[in-house]
Amino acid sequence: MPIDARAAEASLADIDVIVARLKQSSVYRSASTIIIVWGALVACGYLACALAPRQALPIWIAVNALGLIATFAIGLRLRRSGADFEWRIVAAIVLFFAFGLTCSRMGHFGARELDAFWPILFMFGYALAGLWFGRAFIVLGAGIAALAFAGYLWVDRWFELYLAVVDGGGLMLAGLWMRRA
Amino acid sequence: MTNDVPKADDVIHQPLRLRIMAALHAGNGKGQEFDFARLKSLTQASDGNLGSHIETLERAHYVEVERGYRGRRPRMVIRPTALGLRAYQDHVAFLRSIIEGEGDRKA
Repeated sequence: MPIDARAAEASLADIDVIVARLKQSSVYRSASTIIIVWGALVACGYLACALAPRQALPIWIAVNALGLIATFAIGLRLRRSGADFEWRIVAAIVLFFAFGLTCSRMGHFGARELDAFWPILFMFGYALAGLWFGRAFIVLGAGIAALAFAGYLWVDRWFELYLAVVDGGGLMLAGLWMRRA
Repeated sequence: MTNDVPKADDVIHQPLRLRIMAALHAGNGKGQEFDFARLKSLTQASDGNLGSHIETLERAHYVEVERGYRGRRPRMVIRPTALGLRAYQDHVAFLRSIIEGEGDRKA
């Protein structure tokens, strides 16, 4: 079976394509569990806020603390199994929180604005991550951000329930899709 | 297997088998698990084609295939053997040697 330089180059290029696909698939799989966990937590957070609006602050502190602990634990487990996991992801989440807290403090938002602001902020973060890690993050981020903003404009009552479905449910669905990648 | 001059591997050179081995090699030792569906997605092969080439690699002892069930659905997990990984590395070294100017070779 003769193999010339052109065939060899084609074979090596084929290998590069597979390795790149595997890398992206690994990123999606690593991120999927974290995204599903955040989706479930956020959905619970909105539902709890709909039931007990006066407890919004402790609810969201608990949701975010649990989310960060879960992200850290999942990252630790992924690293132990030999998978690629960038600790910069945890750092990026913390930085987004810091930025969000600063903006929400300076912006004098009302409860409704805050409800819309946080998912939109984090969804822009996902979209930003997508510029490096794959289009699925861009679609997820831009899609949920747009739906959250549309809800802010047009969903009057049930806004928190709407966000539980759109933000929490959207994250869980996207995470499940990424798991299959 | 420790030849100084790398040689082509007829089993691995086939394009789909090369893609399968490339994925298994790249994911080896990184906590990656490759079931049939994942390899199908990575290689973009049809079910029948992928299945027959996995069998060829299995017959050559380049992969081990664990057949089982997840719930009620049949599930196949494919793992590279040490022999398969070595053969893949040798084949890639052979391909590079051609490009680096050693000229055409006969397998």
